[in-house]
Amino acid sequence: MTIAGRRLDFWTGVTGVVLAVLVVLLMIPIFRVMVLSFVDADTGNWTLGNYVEVFTRNFYLRGLKNTLFVGLLGTIGASLVGIPLAFFTARFHLWGRTWISTLAILVLVAPPFIGAYAWIMMLGSNGFVTNFFERLGIEIPTIYGAHGIILVFTLKFFPFVFLMTQTALMAVNKSFEDAAENLGCTPWQRFVKITLPLVFPAISTGAIICFVLSIADFGTPAILGRGFRTLSTIAFTAYRSELGGLPTMAVTVSMIMIAISMLALLAQRRILARRRYASGLTNLPVKMHLTGWQNIAVHLFCHGAVLIAMLPNLVVVYTSFLKTNGPVFVGGFGMESYARMWRQAPEAIGNSFLFALAAVALITIFSAFISYVIVRRETRAAGAIDFLMMVPYLVPGVVMAIGFVTTFRTGFLSGMGAAWLLILLYFIRRLPYGVRSTTSSLRQIKPSMEEAAINLGAPPLTAFLKVTLPLILPGLIVGSLMSFITAINELSGTLIIYDSGTLTMPVSIYLAVLDGEFGLAAALSTVLLLCTGACVFAVFRLAEKRESSFL
Amino acid sequence: MASVDITGLRKLYGDVVALSDINISIPSGAFYTLLGPSGCGKTTLLRTIAGFHDQDAGSISLDGNPIETLPAHRRDVGMVFQDYAIFPHISVRENVAFGLKQKKVPRAEMDRRVTEVLDVVQLGAFADRMPHELSGGQQQRVGLARAIVVRPKVLLMDEPLSNLDARLRVDLRAELRRIQKDLGITTIYVTHDQEEALAMSDTVCVMHQGVIQQAASPLDIYLMPANRFVATFVGANSFLALTRDTDQLRLTSGGALVSHKALGEQGETLVCAVRPEVLRVAPGEVQAAEDEVSIPAKLSNVSFIGREMEVLARTDSGEVVKSLARPDPAVIALDPGSAVSMCVRRDDLAFFEDSETGRRLA
Repeated sequence: MTIAGRRLDFWTGVTGVVLAVLVVLLMIPIFRVMVLSFVDADTGNWTLGNYVEVFTRNFYLRGLKNTLFVGLLGTIGASLVGIPLAFFTARFHLWGRTWISTLAILVLVAPPFIGAYAWIMMLGSNGFVTNFFERLGIEIPTIYGAHGIILVFTLKFFPFVFLMTQTALMAVNKSFEDAAENLGCTPWQRFVKITLPLVFPAISTGAIICFVLSIADFGTPAILGRGFRTLSTIAFTAYRSELGGLPTMAVTVSMIMIAISMLALLAQRRILARRRYASGLTNLPVKMHLTGWQNIAVHLFCHGAVLIAMLPNLVVVYTSFLKTNGPVFVGGFGMESYARMWRQAPEAIGNSFLFALAAVALITIFSAFISYVIVRRETRAAGAIDFLMMVPYLVPGVVMAIGFVTTFRTGFLSGMGAAWLLILLYFIRRLPYGVRSTTSSLRQIKPSMEEAAINLGAPPLTAFLKVTLPLILPGLIVGSLMSFITAINELSGTLIIYDSGTLTMPVSIYLAVLDGEFGLAAALSTVLLLCTGACVFAVFRLAEKRESSFL
Repeated sequence: MASVDITGLRKLYGDVVALSDINISIPSGAFYTLLGPSGCGKTTLLRTIAGFHDQDAGSISLDGNPIETLPAHRRDVGMVFQDYAIFPHISVRENVAFGLKQKKVPRAEMDRRVTEVLDVVQLGAFADRMPHELSGGQQQRVGLARAIVVRPKVLLMDEPLSNLDARLRVDLRAELRRIQKDLGITTIYVTHDQEEALAMSDTVCVMHQGVIQQAASPLDIYLMPANRFVATFVGANSFLALTRDTDQLRLTSGGALVSHKALGEQGETLVCAVRPEVLRVAPGEVQAAEDEVSIPAKLSNVSFIGREMEVLARTDSGEVVKSLARPDPAVIALDPGSAVSMCVRRDDLAFFEDSETGRRLA
């Protein structure tokens, strides 16, 4: 049997299964969201009214404006920290360079919402920094509102710009810079006219990731917003208030979020399409030694940036060991927060690990097969799968979860409990991490390896398991670890789906923060940070190119 | 050991014809080489036989049994890869045993056969090494051992020597041929190196743009190229335009008579081909001998490369003629632009229709 002149084989079957899974878990939920946004909640008729409402009512328009405002300024802030940091670490001899990039990676993978509430503990209305200055008689602005969100985004997302730009800078052929200098450029002109344009594709990719993540972020504006609403908090609240009816406004706002992410990505692709800088690595850049005040300033900036970004996580760990009485810190150190965690949230810890591990098991299996289909099969279906792997990056967690609920709470999968929905949500949202890492591993393996195995009589699956799989195993494990980190830290989608039996650690932390239970939140966050850190350590041991594994 | 019969094989990539009506018949035990420039379809043909590509039409049979619909892992043809494709995560011994394990050969027999074949390729001492500890040449021997240990009906080799350095290439090619003869295994060999093809093969099959140009013994390919493409690719012939003068053919440049017989149709343009090693170069104007043709030309470049000198000269009508001859100090001393005469025996000339794959005229 053939399809379009191609013999059907094992991999045709795999391609079919993968496509079916992606259609059910990815395309249909997103399609449902799209369809619902054109439905009138009361009558069930087709309408454009939802969009008219979003684009005319001040409430939504302000949310849109707020989202773009904090997204853009957060991205600019992240670039202003990330680009100099990348340049300094790539071009100057720095004391503790590994330390700097390790901290940046830890900041990158730490649960996103921890930053927000740790800053409240420092700069909130009762934060210790605020109180310290108050005692000195100085009133400093609190963290709440747009500027706080922008600060958190800047410090949370700059590692993307930093690590991507740094990788690019280290690959720039030094001959270009030498040539510019030879033609009479000062070092500053050379940097602006030659180096910066050469690494622009990397900078813009890092910036676009910051922007898309800022748009999608729910935890930060939810915790720090205090009336400053962004589209993700509006979608969430709308979904909550529309429970029981059709969540039409929630999905309409969701569609706008998807549209913004896609427009941003398309714009970046367009800008990059005209730039191709193939660069042979014949002449690698050399690092310079700085002296005097320049040396001190650069060191202060680099170490200061990563330390301040890391500060929230340190504060959280510190707070978790403070002595508490109920929600009140009573001075001194103690383990009460952990005791409360054991009493109040053991099932949250169990659930988090269960759901994340189950999702990662699926991700590992699918990543192995999907990466083979993407890399080795030149069919249209393989191209479609490759494209679909980008979609989860663009769809905010709140949106994907609303799609899941509206699709699977009714219809043929309606029997599924919240636990299964969460596992499948984590699976589909974090699958790209596994696939990307495995794919780049597989691209380095010559196809003749599998062909040799097949030629020696191994059927396709045997050849894959005996030859391909052992060779891509490091990439597969790194991808699985990355998807585990991001799955166990998932908050926004979980908040839509969870019920009393399926609390997870991030949800418990979020609820504890809303209740002012900072000690309990800190203990849970510390557990999350610990297993995140353990995964990072494992990736460091396994991956050849440490830093790029996290991007 | 099996005979191979390929009939009417066709393969398209979209609108591009990769293989067009390939018909090949290889007797059992023969060494059959597919020769051609890159993109000529030789590797596509080999991989289609191995089952890595699906043909659009035609059949492939081993000993009369069609295999073209079998999946690649059940075709029973061994393959040696250009990039060796030695599995890097298992030892040499396990690499060689891989195919035997697939065939579920009993343990004792497997060990015996692996040891035997490693001795044949002179790697007995390396059985427990990991592949990265071996040189390129040794890795390719593992590749050969791994392919032949399962006793395939046919052995396919895809430019197996092209990643090795020149010296090793010559050594290994003799060894390959010796092992192939000892085993008597039917072999299809792909290469773009004409010297390799001529030195190893029973039959050389020259391909161009997915079409077989000529399949013949090395000597016939070299001395009696069937068309202009074969003459260019294998013999490095130079081509000279001809002018028809009633029933005779004369060189357009210089006007020397090259044939008394009328060849081809009236009005058809023909060219004359000459191999570099039959051209003699002399300074100035030289009177041709009775059975010779003298072509006046201007010297473009002389390279003295030791055993011989390579002379490039340009005729009055602009054709570039190449000669490889014994070094002559008088010629090497000439300045570019000097007048030279290129002399060749009339019997050493061949005539072709004037197109890329123009037919040879008797």
